[in-house]
Parts: sequence; structure tokens; C-alpha cells
Amino acid sequence: MGIQLLVTGLALGSMYGLVALGYHITWATSRTMNFSQGQAVMAGAVVAYGLHVALGWPFLLTLLGTLVASALFGVVIERLAVRPFFRSASLAWLLATIACGTIAENVAMLTFGKDARAFPSALATRPVLIAGAGVYPQELLVPVVGLALMGGVQFFYHRTFYGKQLKAVAYNPEAAGLMGIHIPRAVMTAYALSAALAGAAGLLLAPLLNVAPTMGTIIGLKAFAVAIIGGLDSAGGILIAGFLYGLIESFVAGYVSTGAREIVGFAVVIAMLVVRPWGLGGARPTRRV
Amino acid sequence: MRFGQRLLWVLVGCIAATLSASDLAAQSTPVKIGLAAAMSGGSAASGEAIRRGLLIAIDEVNAKGGVLGGRKLELVVRDDEGNPTKGVTIARELVERERVAAVFGGLHSTVALAQVPVWHELKTPYVGAWAAATNITRNGHAPNYVFRVSGNDDYVDKFLVGYATERLRKAKPALLLENTPWGQSNEAGLTKWFADRGLKTVGVEKFNWNDPDMSPQLLRLRQQGADLVVLVANAPEGAQVVKSKAKTGWEVPVLSHWGISGGRFPELAGELSDGVVFFQTYSFFGSQNERGQYVLRVLREKFNVKGPEEVTAPVGTANAYDGMHLVAMAIEQAKATDGPKVRDALENLQGEYRGLIKTYRRPFTSEQHDALTDQDYLMVVWKGGKIVPVK
Repeated sequence: MGIQLLVTGLALGSMYGLVALGYHITWATSRTMNFSQGQAVMAGAVVAYGLHVALGWPFLLTLLGTLVASALFGVVIERLAVRPFFRSASLAWLLATIACGTIAENVAMLTFGKDARAFPSALATRPVLIAGAGVYPQELLVPVVGLALMGGVQFFYHRTFYGKQLKAVAYNPEAAGLMGIHIPRAVMTAYALSAALAGAAGLLLAPLLNVAPTMGTIIGLKAFAVAIIGGLDSAGGILIAGFLYGLIESFVAGYVSTGAREIVGFAVVIAMLVVRPWGLGGARPTRRV
Repeated sequence: MRFGQRLLWVLVGCIAATLSASDLAAQSTPVKIGLAAAMSGGSAASGEAIRRGLLIAIDEVNAKGGVLGGRKLELVVRDDEGNPTKGVTIARELVERERVAAVFGGLHSTVALAQVPVWHELKTPYVGAWAAATNITRNGHAPNYVFRVSGNDDYVDKFLVGYATERLRKAKPALLLENTPWGQSNEAGLTKWFADRGLKTVGVEKFNWNDPDMSPQLLRLRQQGADLVVLVANAPEGAQVVKSKAKTGWEVPVLSHWGISGGRFPELAGELSDGVVFFQTYSFFGSQNERGQYVLRVLREKFNVKGPEEVTAPVGTANAYDGMHLVAMAIEQAKATDGPKVRDALENLQGEYRGLIKTYRRPFTSEQHDALTDQDYLMVVWKGGKIVPVK
């Protein structure tokens, strides 16, 4: 039982970590977040379903189409919900992004329908055994993609010129602007990237979760908890926090009760905010005296 | 003749003409039957299935000359959108504006429960064709205007327990339920009926809608030594349950309420749907009685349904078909279309009706407002994406 719970927890956790990376990407540039990250995952899954199952596109083309559509979704969110409120020192972007997510959910209900549909994948039909614990191959793919994307994001922000520009916007927008960085474009790029990542996550998770307009809500919320625990500034911290959160969920559900699962999980978030608000992987903010 | 006098005669003539015309009109105006069900959204298939059952029965009655000496039946459909508030609004509209003689109801128990006071206030008989919550019919009203030709959770739980103990001979049942009022009411019912047979459930686990993985719950139930899982879930969560079960490698039989009978379950669960046993009020698979053959033929000719495997939401069609014939009989017997008279007739139906699901003899009494009970239910199993009766 323990090994199965461990494997289940790690599989769940890699899902949360993957989705939570999206919060990090926009935060690192703009100190804002897309609170409808879960709906962006759903949008990716719905688009992928439309392209792959309904229209019969091959997988690679579907991936490309999903990434493009998701990036556009990110751009729309940035233009409608973030830019008007950016740096006005208000938190209006928070509500506005939630509103965008709700609209996306309802558009999906109207176009895709409320029924959950299956996204076929050869990797999610039969479980394989690892040390006596069953797992679908698709679930093994999630952490692999998660690690690769985390590496890519780290590399982008720390090693590339454009990535450094995006980061500079977060540290000091005025100075960055004076250095010739186009700030609105930088923020828009971050949102497009973040949503594209969510779309990829949607495509990856679709065979495991079933495609439905409401599929992203809970995942998005738990991924946010993971982002807080891991530290919004740290991609590595988020991925580790994802695994931890998945393990907490799985072991609490297995050894205590399903009802206690959410209580313990979100209690950890609050504890983290009190004890170490910058998160597992974040650095304590330096204070200038 | 003075002008005033002439006018008077004209007026009298007019009134007489109108009276006799309305008398004639009453002879030939159709008798309206309402349907208030989910016709859009995720449960739209259930509403459509009920509509088909009603239309087939109505055409049959009309072909034989209608009711009350030549009045045709006519169906008026309204969409409740699965929303209780909307359900109450359309209930009033159907009675107050459309003047329907009786109303059929759809899948959502929440809607049906919200409508119960409305039927009693407006004194209009209601026949449930799907929603199974126990207290829809056992609602404490006297006289009771709410009838049902469908499952009743209490009887369903009794039926599932009977199957688990007598056919499967299991003594360590576990419950796996969705975390909703529906799951809760079945937890109470199943626990009650297992206790009735001297058995205690070894474990009760719940899950939320959209939960991605149910393995922890299943592992706990296995740990507790369960030899059977009784499942109360809709298709998406039911599919996650069998997928998680495959991961844990636990070979345990699953016995389910009818939430997984929706057409998508085999799509979502794939080959894992095979062998999941659940209850229905009727199955169009296997050998059919005369009515079954007739309904299938009309479904094919009128609705382009090629065979039993294409009858989506079959219980809706079957329940509504029999319910409509019973209501037509009640109208005939009452010799009227007003609510209280039709209601009384439904409670005291004379003669028998050889229906699709069974032969009905006095299906309703003042005590019993469910025409179908655990005696009439049947067990079916998913096999290759089709629903097959359990032998």
C-alpha cells in the first residue's frame, strides 16, 4: 500500500508542479499572475481534443496548434485583464484574471459541451508495474516533461539575453524601461509563455483526467498552493513543492481519510505563509536599512 | 323594432354562438401534456430520451382516437437546464399558461424536489421519469400529486444489497460514493439495507467531482478487507474509479447505481468498463416483448436509432413511455383533464396496462406513488461498450 501511495503521490505531484510553473513565469516578469491558470490548462485540453479527436490532426500538428492557441489565450488575458491594471498598485488584475477564467469555462461549456470526453492515448490504457505499484505510462511522462520545462525556464531566465530582460522588468520596471526594454511586450511574452505551458500541460493531462470544461478548476487551485509552498520566484522550488504536495495528498487520503486531504494540504500552505513566506526555493528578501 | 332591442338580439345571438363554438372547441382542443426536463447541457441526452418515450406513446394514443372522445394529446416541452429555480419557473408556466393536464419530469433530483410544492399548490399531477431521490414521491403531502415511473433510491439500494448478498454472496461490502447529497442519501440507504441483512459495511470512502485519482480510497477499502465495492458515481468519476482500480491491481467486483449508465462511460473508461454491473429499469438489449419491439421500430423509423446500442439513456425512454400510457388511462378514467380528478384516477387506476417494463395493475395507491420497485428492476453489465442484461 505504501509504495502505491508513493507512486500515486509523485504522479499527482508532478501534475501540480507542471501547472504551477505557469504562475512562476508571469510572476518572475511582472509580479502578477494569471489566476485562471487551471482554465488555461482546460483550454489547452479542449483545443487539443478538437484538433486531435474531432478533426483528426496528427499528434505533432496537434501539439503545435495547441501551443499557438494557448499562447494566444495568454496574450488575450494579458491585454484584457492585466495590462489595464498593471502597476496601478491595485490588485484588480487578480479579479480580472479570475473573470477571464470563468468566461473561458463557460465558452467551453457552450462550444465543447458539459460532458466529459475521453482523450485517447496509448500510454494511458494499461498500467505498468513499478516495484509492485501500478502506474500509467502517461503519468511517468508528466514529471519528465515537468523537469525538462523547468530546466528550460531556468535556462531562459538566467542564461539568455531576452530572459534576463524579462527578469529585469520584475526587479525594476522603470530602470528596465530606461534601458530600452519594451515593458508591455515583455509582460505579454511572459503571459504567452505561461499559457503555452499550461496548454502543453492540458494536452499531457487530458488522457489522464478526461476533457471537460471544469477539469482545470481544482488543479489550478492546487497548483497555486504548490506555487506558494515552492516559492513564486523559484522554478526548482515549485517542482519540489509539487511532489511534496502530491505525496501529502496521497498519504493523508490513504492513511487518514479523503476528507482530511484538502484540510491538511491547505493548512500546509497557511503554515508556509507564516513561517517562510518566500517559499521553499525562494531566497529571503534582503532588507535595506 | 327599436334599435336598442335589435342590438340586444344581436348580442344574445353572439353570446350563444360563442358558447356553442367554445363547446365544440372543448371537444376538439388537444389535451396538453408537459415535459419539464434538462433539454440542454450535459444531461440533454436524458431529456431527449424522455421526450422520445412520450412522443411514441402519444402517437399511439392519438392513432387510436386520442382521449375523452376524440381529443388528441399534445406534448409541450420546457428546458429546466438542470437548475431548480428554472424548474420552478417552467412548472408554473406549463400549468398556468399552457394549461397542461399533467407534467413529466427529468433527471435532476434537485429540480424535482424543488418542484414538489408547486405541483401541490397548482394541483397538477407530476410523473417523474428519471430522478430517483427517495423523498420526491415520499414527500409528506396528502393528497400527493407526485408520481414516479422510475427508480427510487431506497428501492435501488435494497435491490443492490439483495444482489450483493444473494447473487454475489459477498459479506464484506464497501461503499465508494461521490461527495454530494446523492452520495449521502445512498450511503444511508445502503447502510440501512446491509444492516437489514445483518451486514456491516467494512469501509465508506468518498471522492469529489473532478478528482484525478481514486487509488488512495481504493487502497483503504482493500486494506479494510472489502470483497465488493458498491459505487455511487456519474460517468466521469466512475471512469476514474475503474482506472485507479486497474492501477492498484485490485480484482474486486464493482456494483453500481445507474449514474454510470450514461453513454460516455465506456468511452471514458475504455476496456476497463467491461464487467461493471449496475441497475436499470429497462434494457432494450435481449429479447423484447411486443411493446419493446414496437418502440425499437419507431425509434429506428422516426429517430434514426439503428439498434439497442444506439438508444442513449434507455431508461428515460422506457420510463416515459409507460408513464405516458398510464396518464392517458387516468385521463380517460377521470373523464376530465383537471388536476385533482386525474390525480385521483392515477391512484385508483382500473384495469391493467401491459406495458414495456412490466404489466401494471393498480400501479399507484395513496400509499405507493412509485409504479416501479425493486421487484421490477434489472441488473445489467457493460460489455464491449454495450449494456447487456445479467443472466
